[in-house]
Amino acid sequence: MKAKLLVLVLIAALALPAFAHAQDDVVTVEFWHTYNEVSPENEMLVNTLIPMFEAEHPNIKVESVPFPYGEFRQTILTALAGGEGPDLARLDIIWSPEFASLGVLLPLEDVMPDYADYADAVFAGPLSTNVYEGQHYGLPLDTNTRVFMYNSTVYEQAGIAEPPATIDDLVAQCDAVTALGEDYYIFSDGGTYGWAVLPWIWSFGGSLTDGAMTTSTGYVNGEETVAAYEFLKDMIDSGCFSPSFLGGGMDSGTGYFTNLFASIMDGPWMFPIAEAQYPDFTIQTALLPAGVGGSISVVGGENIALFVDSETEAALEFLRFTQSDEYQLKMSEVGQLTVKPALLESDYFQNHSYYGTFLQQLKTARARLPHPAWSQIEEVLTDAGQLILRGEASAQEALDMAAEEIDGLLAEYE
Amino acid sequence: MTVNNRSQRMFHWTILALLTLGAVIAMAPMLYMVATAFKPAAYVPEFPPKFIPDNPTLENFRTAFNSRNFDTALFNSAKVAVSTALLVTTLSSMMAYAFARFEFPGKTLLFYTILAMMMVPTMMLIIPQFILASKLELINSHTGLVLVYTAGGLAFNMFLLRGFFESLPYELEEAALIDGANQFVIFWRIMLPLARPALSTVGVFSFLGAWDEYIWALTVLTDPAKRTLPIAIQNFRGTRATDWGLVFAASLTAVVPTVLLFVFFQRYFVQGITTGAVKK
Repeated sequence: MKAKLLVLVLIAALALPAFAHAQDDVVTVEFWHTYNEVSPENEMLVNTLIPMFEAEHPNIKVESVPFPYGEFRQTILTALAGGEGPDLARLDIIWSPEFASLGVLLPLEDVMPDYADYADAVFAGPLSTNVYEGQHYGLPLDTNTRVFMYNSTVYEQAGIAEPPATIDDLVAQCDAVTALGEDYYIFSDGGTYGWAVLPWIWSFGGSLTDGAMTTSTGYVNGEETVAAYEFLKDMIDSGCFSPSFLGGGMDSGTGYFTNLFASIMDGPWMFPIAEAQYPDFTIQTALLPAGVGGSISVVGGENIALFVDSETEAALEFLRFTQSDEYQLKMSEVGQLTVKPALLESDYFQNHSYYGTFLQQLKTARARLPHPAWSQIEEVLTDAGQLILRGEASAQEALDMAAEEIDGLLAEYE
Repeated sequence: MTVNNRSQRMFHWTILALLTLGAVIAMAPMLYMVATAFKPAAYVPEFPPKFIPDNPTLENFRTAFNSRNFDTALFNSAKVAVSTALLVTTLSSMMAYAFARFEFPGKTLLFYTILAMMMVPTMMLIIPQFILASKLELINSHTGLVLVYTAGGLAFNMFLLRGFFESLPYELEEAALIDGANQFVIFWRIMLPLARPALSTVGVFSFLGAWDEYIWALTVLTDPAKRTLPIAIQNFRGTRATDWGLVFAASLTAVVPTVLLFVFFQRYFVQGITTGAVKK
């Protein structure tokens, strides 16, 4: 009896460290992101994708940590200053260059031997948002863009048969819509931030800087960009575009869904909104009306990046998993458009009811300036836009001032 | 007499009408929040705004409580806010009493140094505070949160209570001293009960401060299971689309305990306990 007990104790004594050891081998990777807690994307990540990954990698545990979008950038920066940052994060594409310039991200070429294979498999546009000083600091995770969304009820009332192919067509259709009543507008958007005005600037053939992002003089205050702003001002003054550009009046979405605004410019997330709140409403999409520069929209989306002081190898495994066909398709099902062109040939995308227009628009869409100072540049741009649309300065005057300020910001990074 | 009476009544009604109007304007956003909390889907604002939902539903509350961390966050907030309120009330009343009644070297300097700290904006302190908290291993810890909230609340509440203690008559303490009470007994048995209206103000405001605090909690709590209510509510917002019904249902849930707290403590806010305590 006693001998038996002794044997048991011995086995236990030998087994315990083994258990403890097994525990130590599990590496936890913190993945910070801004998926809304109750969104289908978050459910997919937490309930399907992470368990799938953990089953394949029993020695890696992925902890998903959601943050509110508005404070995410600041929170990460503070956490990093205190050495408590994440291993991986899903970053808005406009933040990547800034984080890279602060030295908090790992250049993937250095730590991921198979990086080139992954880079080759994704769209070039979204990939370019990860570049800082010639190196890549992440991979694209999902993408999106804004397309032209029109309201078939308003079109019918106004006797408009087709969405405008060109900006001139849009102008020509205006009177028919404004004749319907005081609250009717041909088009509406929410402000003068980059996401709203860049499609107009680019479609007019304008731009913010030269290709190397060294100067904005002659670009942001160039002839084409000035023309784009003058166009917007004319349209608002003549009552064609809604005053929501100035931050007042009815919300663009509200006007669109309640059959007052003939068209808006927006992303794929509008479909679930319509389904939930206006189930009888059908969103109609078309490519943005083209100007002399073409039909050029703005690319949105997120990158996944690896942080310094991370559990690099384990984090890289998860990063690779996010680039798999499986992950990309599952996330596409919940509205996160894939970044892999090869998947567009899949049955899922070929048969999808509304991704088609977005994918076509993406072919010519451009990213906002992938520059560390983008947040500040956008502020300058937003303010200049307000001055112009409110008639407090001419487009040329306001943009000349903006060019000077933006040149100053660009110079800080040279 | 009658003319006077009538004009007085007119005045009375005008004041009442103006106050009602003011109250309605002040209440409207609150009422809209309540209404939206019961709406089935509210991503884009409706036009015209509806104060009574067409198909009222409890769905938003169900979604909130069924989500991963909402009920945990509610509990965490209660724990942190109650601890903060107790600590702030205890410590600031002791500090205030000392500043009001004792003489010691460097008293004025110390007092103004503490007050000067109130002039430093919170956002400026966030990074140094975070580094300090990280070195003390107070990240992802409720103890850390309570310590920071308490430290942040002491200066103002000490200032508030000192004024109150100074307004209390010295004679009460002298009478107690003659009866053989020591300083602690005087503080504990005489001054604190008299300061109850001020203490409940301090308690309620420190509770609310900790209950509502967002930026610091968001920065130091990265473990989803440890997060507090304001973060849980913000996490219901989406990058591109937000169901405001859900956000407002969660906000309403957060508001209820604070309203109850006010109703419960209101009777203590009534002044005048010391009236007639001393014969002059």
